[in-house]
Amino acid sequence: MRTNALKRHLTGYAFIGPFIIGFLVFTAIPIFASLYLSFTNYDLFTTPRWLGLDNYKKMFTADPKYTQSLKVTMLYVFGGVPLRLAFALFVAMLLNTAAKAIGLYRTIYYLPSIIGGSVAVSIMWRNLFGDEGAINSILEILGIGGVRWFAEPLAALWMLIFLSIWQFGSSMLIFLAGLKNIPASLYEAAGVDGANAVHRFFKITLPMLSPIILFNAIMQTIGAFMTFVPAYIISKGEGGPMDGTLLYSLYLFRRAFVYFEMGYASAMAWIMLLIVAFISVLLFASAKYWVHYESKGGN
Amino acid sequence: MKKWIMLIMAFTLVFTLAACGTNNNGGILTNNSGGAGTAEGTNSGGDNTGGEKEAVTLRMAWWGGQPRNDYTLEVIKMYEEKNPHVTIEPEYANWDDYWKKLAPQAAANELPDIIQMDLGYITQYGTKNQLADLTPFLNNGIDVSNIADTVVNGGKLGDKLYGFNAGVNALQIHYDPEMLKKIGMDSIPDDWTWDDYKELAKKAGDAGIFFDTGQKPEVFFSYYLRQNGQKLYSADGTQLGYDNDQLFIDYFGMTQQAVLDGGSPTPDFSAQIKGIEDDPVVKEQGISVWQWSNQFIGLQQVANRPLEMHPLPGPNVKEGMFLKPSMFWSVSENSNNKEEAVKFIDFFINDIEANKLIKGERGVPVSSVVKEALKPLLTPEQVKVFDFITWAEENSTQMDPPDPIGAAEVMNLFKTYDEQMKFNKITPEEAAKKFREEANAVLAKNKQ
Repeated sequence: MRTNALKRHLTGYAFIGPFIIGFLVFTAIPIFASLYLSFTNYDLFTTPRWLGLDNYKKMFTADPKYTQSLKVTMLYVFGGVPLRLAFALFVAMLLNTAAKAIGLYRTIYYLPSIIGGSVAVSIMWRNLFGDEGAINSILEILGIGGVRWFAEPLAALWMLIFLSIWQFGSSMLIFLAGLKNIPASLYEAAGVDGANAVHRFFKITLPMLSPIILFNAIMQTIGAFMTFVPAYIISKGEGGPMDGTLLYSLYLFRRAFVYFEMGYASAMAWIMLLIVAFISVLLFASAKYWVHYESKGGN
Repeated sequence: MKKWIMLIMAFTLVFTLAACGTNNNGGILTNNSGGAGTAEGTNSGGDNTGGEKEAVTLRMAWWGGQPRNDYTLEVIKMYEEKNPHVTIEPEYANWDDYWKKLAPQAAANELPDIIQMDLGYITQYGTKNQLADLTPFLNNGIDVSNIADTVVNGGKLGDKLYGFNAGVNALQIHYDPEMLKKIGMDSIPDDWTWDDYKELAKKAGDAGIFFDTGQKPEVFFSYYLRQNGQKLYSADGTQLGYDNDQLFIDYFGMTQQAVLDGGSPTPDFSAQIKGIEDDPVVKEQGISVWQWSNQFIGLQQVANRPLEMHPLPGPNVKEGMFLKPSMFWSVSENSNNKEEAVKFIDFFINDIEANKLIKGERGVPVSSVVKEALKPLLTPEQVKVFDFITWAEENSTQMDPPDPIGAAEVMNLFKTYDEQMKFNKITPEEAAKKFREEANAVLAKNKQ
C-alpha cells in the first residue's frame, strides 16, 4: 500500500524532476548567489570581498550615472507603456470591426512584436532616425524640419520609446480577445438608449476591458523595465548621447561586463527587482478603484 | 481567482525576464589592430634537439575577424609540422565574445595557455595573478636580440612582463592632400603645432568642410599631456597623473572650439559613421582622420585616392609620441606548459616564414630582421606605415604603463564630458573639475 503510493508519487516526481533540477540550478541558486554577491566586491577573478551595504550606499549617494539611468528608465517606462497600450487598444478596436481577412491583419500587426526586440530591427531603427534617414526626410516634406535624434538626449530616448510603441502586438492580441468577449447585447442596449460611440467606448468598452488593461499594464511595465537590446544597439553600448538612453539594464550590463563589478551589478539587479515589485503592487492596489470584474457581479 | 493567476504570472515573469537580461551581446566597437607587411625569413622556430619528446597540448586563444583566423590557423599548422610533439587547440572569437569568454575561464582557473591580450585588459589580468611573468624567458625561449627594449617593455607592469608585444602601432594624422588644397594648403607643415591645428580647423569650418572627425579623448589628451611632461594616470594608478587642470581646459577647449567653428563634427555625427566607407575623408567631406598607423592601409584602400600621413602636432613631438603594442601574447599563470607556450610565441614573433603569412596584420612586426625581410613583399601603403614606425622608433619615448584598473570607467567619463562640451552644455573649466573629481573617485578604488 505505502510502496504503491510511493511509486505513484515517484512517477510524478520523475516527470517534474527535470524542471525542478533546472529551476534550482539555473534559476534559484543563481538568484541567491547574486543576493550574496550584491554585498561584496567581486571582479570575477578574485574571491568576493564582503562589503556589507556599501554597494547599495554608493548607488544612492555617490553614483550620478545610476541616478541618471534610473531617471531615463522611469521616463522610458512611464512614457512608453501608456502610449503603447493606447496604441494597442486602438489597433485592436480597428481590427475588431474588420470582418474579412482578420487573421491576416492580426498576423501583420503582430509581426513587429516578434522581430522588434531583435538586433536587426534596432540597427534598422538607427538608420531610420539618422540625420539623413527616412524619418527626417518625411519630417522635412511635412515642413517640420529634421530632428537631430542622436544629439538631444530626450530625442534619443523618444526614438527608443517609438520603437517600443511599434511593438504593440502582444497587448493588441490580448485586447482583441477581450473585445470579442464583450457581449454584443450591451452595445445593442446602449444603442437603443441613444448612446453614441464615445459613450459606448467609455461606459462599456473600457470598464469591460479593465481587467485586461490591468494585466497588460503590469506585463508591459515589467517588460519595459528590462529593456536592453534596443538601447544597447542604438547607442552602440554606451547609452549616449550624454547618457540620454542609459537604461537601467544597460547600465547594469556595463557595470558587470565592461567594468567587471559583478557585486555592484548584482546589487543593482536587486534594487531593480524591488522597484518592479513595488510598482506591480501599486498597480494591483489601484485596481479596486478602476478595474471592473464582471464575474463578481461588478463593483 | 483571476487576480491570483495574474499575480503568479507577473512574478514568474519578473524572474524569467530578469534571467534573460544578460543573454544579448552586441557590438562594442574596438580598434582592431592590424598592420602592414609581408615577409622573408630567419628560422628560429622548430628546435632540433632530436630524441622523443613528450606530447604537449596547448590551448591558444585570440580575437579577430575571418582573415586573421585563417592565417593564424595556417601558422599553427606550420608550427605543428615543425614540432610534431605539440598540438595546438585554437579558441577564437570576435572581440566582444572573446572577453566575455575569457573572464569566466579565468574565474574557473581554466585560461588557455597562450592568450592574445589587449592593453586595456592586461592590468586586470596581470595584477590578479592570471598571467605568467615572461621576464625569465627573454633570450631563453623568446629571442629578443632583434627587438628594441622600448618595444619589449610595452607589456611591463612594475617589474613583471605580462605580455609580449605582437606588433607596433603609432599615432598619426592621415589626410587627403586634394582636400587640404581647398583651404589653401599643399601639405601639413613638418613642424606644425596645436596652434596651426586650431587655425586649420577654423579655415576648414569656414570652407564648409570638416578638418577632422574628432579625437579619441583618452588617446590624444594623453599625447597632449605627454607633450607637457605629464601623464594621464599616476604611477600607482590610484589617481590622475596630471595636477594642472589648465592642460585639460586648453586641450578640450581647443577640440570644443573646433566643433563650434564647424571644423570638426558634433558627436552625434560621429556616432552615425558606420565604417570606413562612411568616413568624411572617404566621402570627400573632410580633410583628415586622427588614428593609429595601421589604420592607414584600410583608409587608403577604401578612399582609393592618394592619401598622406603625418606626425601629430608639436611642440615636443618626441616626448608625446610613443609606440603602442597593437596587442600582446600572454601565457596564463595556470598553464602547465609555459616553456612550450613561450616557444610558440617566439615562433610567431621571430619566424620569417610564419610572418609571411601574418603580413603584419597584427601590427608592424617588432623584430627588425622580420621587418626588413617583409619589406620587398609589401604594397606601397604598407611600406609607408613600416617606414613611419621606423621613424617613430627614433622619435618617440617610452609608452605610459598599461592603463590601471578602472580605466574603462575613466574613458566613459571622458566620453561623457567630451560630448557635453561639444554640445556646448558645459564649459571646459567645469568639466575639468568634475572629471577630476569623478575619475579620482574611480581610481581611488585601486588603493586597497
